[in-house]
Amino acid sequence: MKKLLACASAVAFTAVFASAASATEIGVVVKIGGIPWFNAMEDGIKRQADALGVDAEMIGPTSADPALQVQAIEDLIAKGVDVIGVVPNDEKALEPVLKKARDAGIKVIAHEGPGLENVDWDFELASAQGFGEAHAKLLSEKIEGPGKYAVYVGSLTVPLHNAWADAAVAWLTENRPDLEPVGDRYGVAENVDESRKTALDLMAANPDLKGFLGFGSQGPIGAGRAIDERKMSGKVFVVGPFSPGQGARMVHQGVLTGGYMWNPAQAGEVFVTLGKMLAEGEEITDGMEIPGLGVVHPDFEGRDIITDNLLELNDESVDGLADMGL
Amino acid sequence: MSAFITRLRQNLGTETFGLLILLAVMVTVFSLASPRFLTAANFGSMGYQAPLLGLLTLAMLGPMISGGINLAIIFLANISGLTFAWVMLQFGGAEAGLPAIFMGAVAAMAVGAAAGALEGAVIAFVGAHPILVSLAMMIFLRGLGEFLTKGGDISGFPDVVGALGHGAIFGFPLPLLLFLIVALVWHVLFSRSRHGFATYMVGSNIRAAEYSGLPTKRTLITIYALSGLVCAIAGILMLARFNSVRVGHGEAMLLVTVLAIFLGGIDPFGGKGRVAPVILAILILQILSSGLNLIGANQHLATAVWGLFLIAVMILRSGRLAALIPFRKD
Repeated sequence: MKKLLACASAVAFTAVFASAASATEIGVVVKIGGIPWFNAMEDGIKRQADALGVDAEMIGPTSADPALQVQAIEDLIAKGVDVIGVVPNDEKALEPVLKKARDAGIKVIAHEGPGLENVDWDFELASAQGFGEAHAKLLSEKIEGPGKYAVYVGSLTVPLHNAWADAAVAWLTENRPDLEPVGDRYGVAENVDESRKTALDLMAANPDLKGFLGFGSQGPIGAGRAIDERKMSGKVFVVGPFSPGQGARMVHQGVLTGGYMWNPAQAGEVFVTLGKMLAEGEEITDGMEIPGLGVVHPDFEGRDIITDNLLELNDESVDGLADMGL
Repeated sequence: MSAFITRLRQNLGTETFGLLILLAVMVTVFSLASPRFLTAANFGSMGYQAPLLGLLTLAMLGPMISGGINLAIIFLANISGLTFAWVMLQFGGAEAGLPAIFMGAVAAMAVGAAAGALEGAVIAFVGAHPILVSLAMMIFLRGLGEFLTKGGDISGFPDVVGALGHGAIFGFPLPLLLFLIVALVWHVLFSRSRHGFATYMVGSNIRAAEYSGLPTKRTLITIYALSGLVCAIAGILMLARFNSVRVGHGEAMLLVTVLAIFLGGIDPFGGKGRVAPVILAILILQILSSGLNLIGANQHLATAVWGLFLIAVMILRSGRLAALIPFRKD
């Protein structure tokens, strides 16, 4: 028994020393695990962690419930990581726990959460304005003549999706007065089936519906399926960011028009790059170049680093992106 | 040694005994797997996480012992939290004073208890199955909450409220203290009170209970009203933890509460089970979840492991395996 105890404590001690001496530890909590977008992000995190020699892991809760994100972050604080990264489901629900993390001396980096206050930095690969307008322009190019369009967001509480929708709707109202939005925004775009059903209902109710703006990774896919089922390709256009591997076939069929995205794997890499920089005490300055983000002009007040690294998704580009594992 | 173990088993009951073994095994495995498991930071973190699930499980407990179920607990908690938030906002949000907080808490508990009582009344007088009634209640409350908040969240509360979710007294997490108080009350309620006895009787055989002169209808209403009351406490805690309230917060916990209850040895058909093993089950689920996070396991794997544990506990509880383990006399 004594031997066993000695053995166990020896193991424990070496583990303590090993981890104390080892590299920066980074834990990234994303919205939900097991969907292609965050699988790609995890690949990016792992790849960059190997390249930089840091210890990084991604935690993807089993459902997109902020309560689970709070728990995962609590556990990371207890684990004593150096950097916590987060892609928030609900910004406000995370503020108290992120404050706790920062009080514990942990650096906090967010992505897709520009409104968060208790962070060291939030980084974006697309500006809300630029991203929303790019989609609005694409939809406007496709639709001829007057008609209606519907707007999907991941959920009414995802601030970024709503900011894109605001920018897109504002652009369309300004430049295409003949296009009219249908109803309010639909918070279905994190779910393929809900998006499909909503699209079927909307097409049935509005014969003059000409387009869908789907902000949320599953929204365009679901709407595209509905258009495929109703044989409306070429009459109703679906524009929005989606995962290329999931949407490639639909783009070739013409039921999914296209959109813009940023690379979640690149976001994963930035989490690690930026995390290592912050953990080592490096300051972010105006005009500096950060790998994966390019030359940055941070907003020091709001702690946001906003860049425009858009990738266009269309008939030509989608296969290449799908081959990248997205 | 074996006599001691037998006595322990008799005193604690087989459920508690099996769960204690499981707890010991898990603590050992995780402390070997991660040097950070047996640290104050980790136990502190668990002390802040477990109470929410714990309170929701206690809300589920009464209905389950009575042979029913309350699927509306999460939304009862959300709607009570919204009530609390609404009262706060009437008194200036972040500037609201202690009387306003007290009023908010009372209002939230009143709403939770009233909604629960309504559920109980429908079950008692209409005779519909609790699954249907509580499902209807869940859908109603969810819709109502989403309509009132337009799906958004309400935030901006006094610092005192945040302290309830994150504060500590002498290093002891406040949420845990709150949970332990409610758990103690629940233990006394179910083991010593008239209402507790009536709940078990309704759960074993509601017709026999009625013929024996027990006020079964009143009992059912009280059971669900108390469930709603604890939901309200959970809702206030959730609001304090997240500094915001939104319909849908904590949705993922609904089935975990059912899991904790089965793990705690409550008979799914009602009439049997005690509070203490359920508390132990909550502790086990928390250790499992935090432990797997500490060693960096996949979240979906954690769900699978929960299922496996449930099966393992059922095998342990059958008594067959426990009888097979030879205890050496040291």
